[in-house]
Amino acid sequence: MNRRQATWAFTIVLVLFATTRTRSQDNPPFETAVAPIIQQTCTQCHNENNASGGLNLRQLVRKESLVSHRAEWETVLRKLKAGEMPPPPLAKPTGLPAMTAAIERELDRLDRNIKPDPGRITARRLNRNEYRNTIRDLLGVDFQATQEFPTDDSGEGFDNIADVLTISPLLAEKYLASAERISARALGLVRLPKPISASYSADVGGGQITGTNGRARRTGVSFIEVPHRVDYDGEYVIQAGLSGHRGPEGRPVTMGFWMDGALLYQEEIATTPPKTVYFNPYEVREFKVFLPEGRHVFRLGFMNDDAGAAMPANRMYDSAANKYPHYIGFLGPQARSEESSSRRRILICDPSSGKACVERILSGLARRAYRRSVKASEVAGLVRLVDRARAEGLSAEHGIQTALTALLVSPDFLFRIERDAEPRNAEAVHRVTDFELASRLSYFLWSSMPDDQLLDLAEKGRLRDAAVLDAQVTRMLADPRAAAFSENFGGQWLETRNLDSVKPDPVKFPEWNNELKEAMRTETRMFFDSILRGNRPISEFLTARYTFLNEQLARFYGIENVKGMDFRRVELQTQQRGGILSQASVLTVTSYPTRTSVVLRGRYILENILGSPPPAPPANVPPLDEDAAGVSQSLRQQMEQHRANPACAVCHSKIDPLGFALENYDAIGKWRTTEGKFPIDTAGMLPDGTRFLGPSDFREALTTRMPQVAESLTEKMLVYALGRGLESYDRRSINSIVRNSEAKGYTLQALIFEIVHSLPFQSRRGER
Amino acid sequence: MIITKKMLPRRTFLRGMGVAIGLPMMEAMVPAMPLPQASITGRKSPVRLMFLYVPNGIDMENWNPSYAGTLGELPRILKPLEPFKDDVLMLGNLTHNWARVLLDGPGDHGRCSANYLTGGHVLKTDKSIYVNSPMSMDQLIASRIGRETRLASLEIGMEDPRQSGNCDSGYSCAYTNNLAWKSQTQPMPPILDPRMLFERLFGASADLSPEEREQQRRLRTSILDFVKDSTNSLAKDLGPTDRRKLDEYLTAIRSIEVQMERAAKDTTPIPPGMEKPAGTPADFGEHFKLLTDMVTVAFQADLTRVVTFLVTREGTSRPYREIGISDGHHPLTHHGGKRDQLARVTQINEYHLSNFASWVGRLAALQEGNGRLLDNLMLVYGAGLSDGNRHLHDDLPTVVVGRGGGSLKPGRRIVYRRETPFSNLHLSLMDRMGVEVESFGDSSGRLSGLDTV
Repeated sequence: MNRRQATWAFTIVLVLFATTRTRSQDNPPFETAVAPIIQQTCTQCHNENNASGGLNLRQLVRKESLVSHRAEWETVLRKLKAGEMPPPPLAKPTGLPAMTAAIERELDRLDRNIKPDPGRITARRLNRNEYRNTIRDLLGVDFQATQEFPTDDSGEGFDNIADVLTISPLLAEKYLASAERISARALGLVRLPKPISASYSADVGGGQITGTNGRARRTGVSFIEVPHRVDYDGEYVIQAGLSGHRGPEGRPVTMGFWMDGALLYQEEIATTPPKTVYFNPYEVREFKVFLPEGRHVFRLGFMNDDAGAAMPANRMYDSAANKYPHYIGFLGPQARSEESSSRRRILICDPSSGKACVERILSGLARRAYRRSVKASEVAGLVRLVDRARAEGLSAEHGIQTALTALLVSPDFLFRIERDAEPRNAEAVHRVTDFELASRLSYFLWSSMPDDQLLDLAEKGRLRDAAVLDAQVTRMLADPRAAAFSENFGGQWLETRNLDSVKPDPVKFPEWNNELKEAMRTETRMFFDSILRGNRPISEFLTARYTFLNEQLARFYGIENVKGMDFRRVELQTQQRGGILSQASVLTVTSYPTRTSVVLRGRYILENILGSPPPAPPANVPPLDEDAAGVSQSLRQQMEQHRANPACAVCHSKIDPLGFALENYDAIGKWRTTEGKFPIDTAGMLPDGTRFLGPSDFREALTTRMPQVAESLTEKMLVYALGRGLESYDRRSINSIVRNSEAKGYTLQALIFEIVHSLPFQSRRGER
Repeated sequence: MIITKKMLPRRTFLRGMGVAIGLPMMEAMVPAMPLPQASITGRKSPVRLMFLYVPNGIDMENWNPSYAGTLGELPRILKPLEPFKDDVLMLGNLTHNWARVLLDGPGDHGRCSANYLTGGHVLKTDKSIYVNSPMSMDQLIASRIGRETRLASLEIGMEDPRQSGNCDSGYSCAYTNNLAWKSQTQPMPPILDPRMLFERLFGASADLSPEEREQQRRLRTSILDFVKDSTNSLAKDLGPTDRRKLDEYLTAIRSIEVQMERAAKDTTPIPPGMEKPAGTPADFGEHFKLLTDMVTVAFQADLTRVVTFLVTREGTSRPYREIGISDGHHPLTHHGGKRDQLARVTQINEYHLSNFASWVGRLAALQEGNGRLLDNLMLVYGAGLSDGNRHLHDDLPTVVVGRGGGSLKPGRRIVYRRETPFSNLHLSLMDRMGVEVESFGDSSGRLSGLDTV
């Protein structure tokens, strides 16, 4: 008897054996519902000789394999639930739903018999964003950690994974130097140099004067912009150079001055001819603003300047017809005219008055910096540093600064360390302390330290109370600091952070510029934020009938009647746009510099929306004739040829149709109906066989995969919330998070609340 | 920020406008930590080693000459090195076997860059990081001789890593973002910003007097003692992984202490003409020049003897508008034999080389002791893939520029037996740095003929 016959015989015996037992049960067991399909259908491709997708399912014919090959079974289950297997043209066996249910039931049953495992999070250092936000909330100092520290490595798609975040000597050096600087800035002890000046003039449009430090970029008729490094916190005199006038009829405009997108100063400006100057009219407005240390982008311009925008091209920079910003000068630093709030907050009493005050100051700082209550011995260690500084002849304030520096390089500040009573006992599952829970919450939702309210509740032991916890999460989600969740989780889940590293070809895409890029980023951030704050269902990520636009982006989308540079909610009137898969940010980060990529976009959807990432391609894949696309052949025809190769078809029949659905958007997300001379064909089907014609019903079709989409997002969010990769024992928690949020209509907040209450978020255990 | 002579026209203008403004302070960029040039004169100059790594392989057709032995006409990509070919040693057939697929599936880019200097197997994971080698060869050298210079080693790079998503087929981004590994789990991130490099080399606190600097050093010592005490008492009750994290921090703290000791002994001033860069230029050539010119100073002043330069990272899709190429580097390398696509890869390879060669040109003009600075350098320029289209890990493109203190006889191309471990080069280079070890990574011995014709 050869192997095949043996297998058949075995199957028949199994089936006979099983049928005698199932009559008495409603739920068919593994042997009848699962094993036969595995044997007859799955192992055709997934066997020891040809482990398609890396899976040899001959290992999974026995029930014991549910325990011994758990990871493989999870994969099988995921593919079945996604409707991807068996792939077309193979027919789906009729017993497939029963099989899927049986596997789920068996895995659940197994899980019920083992003790739940919350897993364990390694001591995690703050990443750059967390460091910056924590310094902001602790001391009120704006410290640009992203520019001062080396890049954080990421894993699992996120930059907050404990096991991937390490400390190099370079980073430690930076921690020390930055701690000295930050503490001096917080206390206002940085010695200021004499004021110096720096200035920039526009690269387009003339004016009377020239900047000494380089060119300012013109970002519109009435705007110039320049990146500039401020070396010291302090007050600076800003000189706004404005060229030209708009004649005697010229109406006043509002001049604004912005730093990193935030308006710092505005005043009304006349545009009529000046009385004192006869030719080359030029006006310099001066005003004083406080600027924080760091590299910033400064913008000078006229708000809602319709007259400027309507100026014909040949008169835009004609000083007899138009008035426009031309020059930005910085003169400073000067000492602040009033004491900073950072300093007031630290110096709650006069540290030169004696030890009692020094202790008061330091114990308060340490509690917040360490995010827990501090022992008297810890405060004593800090007080000794103050004494040490005073022994050097330094003032009491400098003593506080020395102790504050030490706080900021202490491992209790830099790391989030959670304690176990039995660190070497993996069976010793326990809830994290209230203080640890407060930090888990705040770094999850705010990417920052817990505030006083959280610390106070933790100190009283009340945070673990479910009702108190819910109230806190609600409060935190409404807090402005929750913007960090949209920024960091949203930006990494949707990969819009990569907008800075994609570099669309300026020749093929002349509309691409910095402003457009930032507008794209803002749209998606605000969109995410509105789903978060409005507690909307996550299906709106795919099908929302609104978005957030300013004039530039609206024009790019072909949407009228959105005026000005401010973003606002816009109800969408056509099916061209709706949801993240129609947003230019996402469409751009999933393209190459010169063209779209159905593969990159298809992979993006499988990975980030459907949670079913395809395997990586082999090297030396047959090439795609990019130059020919749109000329001699459509991209689609080419991809179909590519897929004629069976080795490619396995994955590409699943990936490509998803990408083709978005072919109406070019490589920077602009709507198009042809590619070169060929019309675009967007029809296709999902991996489960659901058919669609174009981008809008594609998006609708994706929402029919709801449990799957919710599960995918849950997994990503749980990785982000925990700062660790997921393990098979997390499956139970994921299942229950998804199940429980279904009842709440799969809203984004429902997922967050469920994660906060989940076992891995609430508990930990010792190490194996 | 640098205040330059450009001030004058501005002030003239302002006077004309009737605006009164105080004279700007001309603050010279005096380094906080002076350079010890004197300390290396009067004795044998030390040998310094640097790796320059370019990603995504090289167009080998235009890299390998048809001959071995004395270098004649150089192939197209290496052409920019033609004037300096007496200082160039080309090595052929060196292979990194551990970077191959073996049983780990796709992810050649992730593997080859993490494996390049470690010679070890890289754990395929996206959840954590682990290189099965105690440390990379540059860090091994640094751990032995690093105490002789203020910085045990220096890591630089030019490309901001990808910010989200996956880096390569299940390999954590740490593998492609770093070349140097201080331990199995501790990569050494490169400095990308020229300003940050300037501050690391020459000190950030330029406005302190010598007395204040000494006081700062004393206070720093107390602060670091405080940190060590709290770290040690914290670590007592932790599990092994958490303790390892804190150990990494302690190790890093100790390296700061060593630097502070060294800095206290240094007394010579910074070479004139060095200006603190304002930030990172967008132009590749400018960025490359800023970084390498600072490395030149670091070599001259003996601030460090081990440098790794991750020019750009594996899998990068950086376009090269500087030379009219709008397509991303990585997608281009999967040209599948298409000539015009390959031609653009060749151009990128050439462009990288020409930037390197013009630095070599600047180095070649510098004296050291009775000879040239270049006589005491070993600049290894290469890639972790040969054919980037097919992800090949054999015959890795490798040139060594410099004479290694007389321990190299350049001007030649040596072609080794096929499958000669790249780690053998590491062994041979470590010998020349005064660090002799039995074996490294998958080494099978030392490379022969590097110093004999």
